[in-house]
Amino acid sequence: LNTASKRLVFRSQISFRASTILLVLSLAANAAMAASPRRSMLPVKATLPVKDPAAGPPADTTLLDAMQSELHRAMTSLGAGPVANASAPAVKPYFLSYSVNDNESAAITAEFGAITNSTTSHNRIADVQIRIGAPSLDNTHGDHRTSALTTMPLPLTDDRAAIERSLWFATNRGYGKAMDALEKVKTEQQVRAKEEDTSADFSEQKAVDDVLTAAPPLTVDRAAWVDRLRAISAVFRSHTNILYDTAILQVMHETDYFVSSEGSRVAAPQELVRLIIIARTRAADGMDLYRAETFESDTAGKLPDQAEVLAKTEAMAKNLDELRTAPITEPYEGPAILSGRAAAVFFHEVLGHRLEGQRQRGDEEGQTFTKLLGKPILPSFLSVVDDPTLAQLDGHALSGHYLFDDEGQPAERVDLVDSGVLKDFLMSREPIASFAESNGHGRAQTGKMPTGRQGNLIVSSTKTVSEDELRQMLKDEAKKQGKAYGLYFEDISSGFAVTTRRSPQAFQVIPLVVYRVYVDGRPDELVRGVSIVGTPLAALSRILATGDKQDIFNGECGAESGTIPVSAVAPAMLVSEIETQRQAQGTARPPLIPPPPLTDKAQPAAAQKGGR
Amino acid sequence: MRNSVLFLAAVLAASPALPVASLAQQHHAAPAAKPAAASDLILNAMKDELTREQQLLALPGMQRPYFMQYRLEDVQTYEALANYGALVREVESHQRAVRVDVRVGDYTTDSSTNRGEGSVEFTATDNDPDALRSALWTATDAAYKNALRAYAAKQAALKQFQNPPTANDFSQAKATTRIEPLLSLDINRDDWKHRVIEASGLYAVDPAVKAFAADVQFASAQVTAMVVNRYTVNTDGTMLRHGYSWYQDLINIGGQAPDGMQVARDNGTTATAAAGLESWPAMRKRMIDDLLSYNELRNAPVVAADDYHGPVLFTGDAAADVFNRLVVPHIEADRPDLGTTARTQGAYASSLHSLVLPTYISVVDDPTMHTFEGQSLLGSYAVDDEGVPVAPVTLVKDGELVNYDIGREPVKDFPASNGHGRAGLVQGARSRAGVVIVKSSQNLTAEQMRAKLVALAKDKGQDVYEVETLGGGELTPRLLYRVSPDGKRTLVRGATFDDLDQRALRADIIAVGGKPWVAQTTGPIPETTIVPEILFDDITVKRAVQEQQKVPYYAPPATN
Repeated sequence: LNTASKRLVFRSQISFRASTILLVLSLAANAAMAASPRRSMLPVKATLPVKDPAAGPPADTTLLDAMQSELHRAMTSLGAGPVANASAPAVKPYFLSYSVNDNESAAITAEFGAITNSTTSHNRIADVQIRIGAPSLDNTHGDHRTSALTTMPLPLTDDRAAIERSLWFATNRGYGKAMDALEKVKTEQQVRAKEEDTSADFSEQKAVDDVLTAAPPLTVDRAAWVDRLRAISAVFRSHTNILYDTAILQVMHETDYFVSSEGSRVAAPQELVRLIIIARTRAADGMDLYRAETFESDTAGKLPDQAEVLAKTEAMAKNLDELRTAPITEPYEGPAILSGRAAAVFFHEVLGHRLEGQRQRGDEEGQTFTKLLGKPILPSFLSVVDDPTLAQLDGHALSGHYLFDDEGQPAERVDLVDSGVLKDFLMSREPIASFAESNGHGRAQTGKMPTGRQGNLIVSSTKTVSEDELRQMLKDEAKKQGKAYGLYFEDISSGFAVTTRRSPQAFQVIPLVVYRVYVDGRPDELVRGVSIVGTPLAALSRILATGDKQDIFNGECGAESGTIPVSAVAPAMLVSEIETQRQAQGTARPPLIPPPPLTDKAQPAAAQKGGR
Repeated sequence: MRNSVLFLAAVLAASPALPVASLAQQHHAAPAAKPAAASDLILNAMKDELTREQQLLALPGMQRPYFMQYRLEDVQTYEALANYGALVREVESHQRAVRVDVRVGDYTTDSSTNRGEGSVEFTATDNDPDALRSALWTATDAAYKNALRAYAAKQAALKQFQNPPTANDFSQAKATTRIEPLLSLDINRDDWKHRVIEASGLYAVDPAVKAFAADVQFASAQVTAMVVNRYTVNTDGTMLRHGYSWYQDLINIGGQAPDGMQVARDNGTTATAAAGLESWPAMRKRMIDDLLSYNELRNAPVVAADDYHGPVLFTGDAAADVFNRLVVPHIEADRPDLGTTARTQGAYASSLHSLVLPTYISVVDDPTMHTFEGQSLLGSYAVDDEGVPVAPVTLVKDGELVNYDIGREPVKDFPASNGHGRAGLVQGARSRAGVVIVKSSQNLTAEQMRAKLVALAKDKGQDVYEVETLGGGELTPRLLYRVSPDGKRTLVRGATFDDLDQRALRADIIAVGGKPWVAQTTGPIPETTIVPEILFDDITVKRAVQEQQKVPYYAPPATN
């Protein structure tokens, strides 16, 4: 069903928006960590071992062999002879890779205590990447990056002849596309002024030969989860002001296969389980308000038990009810605390996206940090790494974990900011003036060209205080600035960062739960409709101190190279000045008439079983 | 590198716990219409909520709805696709959506627009009346608010126009109660899966075709099924449970001629039940025939560089495609834009009682016809999606346009529905055709039609053309034959038609007869068009101007 229903619009808002960079982050283990005893986790501990690679079945060598032999045939055939009806001589590609994503997934969705959808799927998609010309200048230059990529579905079975024929079809088509693009690139190069960054278009890397196990076959206890999801979404039945709710279980097992003309041969598994609960209400003035709870793990068995999920769902529903009637925010400029989770989003948006390598070159890019390498960009007590090799942190799964990136490069821990000083960027195989090589961050959704992206972005601090102290510092700072209150951002949802030159270098994150913390000792007051505005560089330099425990924020991040899972980890932060405004809002009234009465049998059942 | 599960195509594990299965059984146990209606949990929940909304829904100081309709669609789909002899996709889905239409104003002028203002929500596949009513409640609220806004905008717009609309916005209709048996998706998945796998791999293994396997760039076969059960209640008192289904198998072969021109063959069969699709031997034969035809087309000469003006015989689906493009959309009475005085939209907006076809041709729309020469007809139905029963309608009588297919949104001189208010999935109802039959009083056989064509060639002392199937673009010939005065047929490629329009239908047809073709359209609304062969006197055939693509840069992998 492909329709412009309000719900679909809502869903797309919380999932991803094309052409902007945005983050849909979920809270994963946050509350669990807060509930456990205080501990100092700073700085980040050593890498935890990844899951035992011997756990899964062997990788599909028939598939890998078919990929490899067809790749070899293409490399030896393309450009070897004249093309029958072409005037120009054929050119040999200098690089060819086949990247195959074998993905098994299941999703079950419930609303208002009833199942609305249950799907399973199995797809094998090949991304064929062809580069013609030379690494110094090839068909991907400038705006032609996607000319290297052709996507094709592959057989789901190990039918070698059909796999090879499919790869041939995509390679042949891709080669034509690449030839066209190279012509355009060459013409454009002659017309334009010298580029600021004259880096090559493709880095040289060593071949990687590492065939790990495949992901195990996907199994979901469907009957049990159907019951659980019904019960979770049934929580909202008794909250009559909540207009929309959904509980979704997503389970995904996938294996990525990669071969290249450089001799790489890689297979690596990935498993991800996500339980998402979303609810929405509308204030009397038409402001739509929503909350989301997300639980992540690598297997469904490790998700929290039903009692815990139900308790969190109930708390979320109550909070949303309170938000609905909370006073609306006033424009504000003053000190604020970002909770660990809020700070994590803040860093992902403001810093992380701007440290993506490809943003340091190109005519359209803002290049905020390009010239600041080796210079302080953060207070000296803050350090930032991106470490996709971490599968978990303190026992909690990290969504941004991977073993190899989507260019077949091994994942690497990258020290981006060390004691406030900018040290590195997130590099794919697209070089920039300061860095010629990949550091294992070339990531993409299937069907997109990889670019430098975040994995697990982790902010650590050496200037930490307890949460109580941080709160006192907020009040002191507010008093100093003559404010009646400071703001406490407890929960933040999605935001987007605009890093191109023509847009203001602003970020926007969407705070969901914000409190006023009064200096005169009045109890904290929940407010609604807050949105943060401001310039990122300034905001980063205004961090005064941090809390002493980190929160994990797991979610999906969308950008040019598609939607990919990421994590962001940060402690709470006190910022001396943050500017907020009232968020743009709808004007539609809440429903005119009360919700329909529940059937007689629904109510006692819900009381007895906590569900329907 | 992963897709978000949310955005993946829906596949539904066929679970015995599925509510639809149990509902279907429940229905079979209750054959009488009335008890089924009384016990239909979904219809009852819809009726309950509609009654409640009707009593309560109001915004102080604003008009209340004068008409509301709820429609729930239960949609099941299955699809299996194979390329080169291997399965690449198998997808199954089951989803439900409700569409709420609310009209504010009155029958003369209301909130409706050509865009349609209804509200749509997905809803539970569980038969849960609470969840269903909750979805209806929010959808009704949104639809009513949209209707109020649309009504205000329309009142303002009407003030700008000199002429009032030429027809009312909505027509009255009697309450209808009709409960049809629930349809279920019934197809032997394993069987069909193996058929598409085998069919798509024949190019490389069958002795009749494997010699040119290297020239087949793309070979694919697919089976698709969709079953829709619709539940409708409205404030007229109508209570409706009906649905439709279609099953389709398709073959798709593609590649290039030696000069780089894109060449393709794609076709298949369509029926209302899986049993109505072609047998495996027939499908296998079709694949081989298509492969041979593809190869013949690849090696066929390109049509002459100089334009041809003269007779062209349209046979097979080519004639049906001409009617589907040039006639059917125009006999569907779409309301004219606000402020215009036209009767409808399209080529026949002002053609009532004019000759639009030769006097020996009549066109009837008869959705009550279920089969034609043993084929089940997709466009068949008894009651339309607005609850109006349908009867045969003569649209063109002896060449003269006398009527339109029309739903409950009237046009000038046609104040009432004739049962053609039909809706695409989650869409509002529009005037749409059902089973359009083109009849000729000439009673010519296929042989006589061909003889006429050859006679014309002889008369003119020149080659003429016959087109058997279209494809690759709007009214573009795919299988086009040059026919010489001695009757010899030569396949040519790379042609387009010119001057093929409503004027040609009116003035250039010289014979209609021969074997009728049953063209079935699956979506957005299932329709059938049955058209015999058509001989035109004066159509232009010219060489297509198209960019010649490069032939493959390297050979495909060897097949054994």
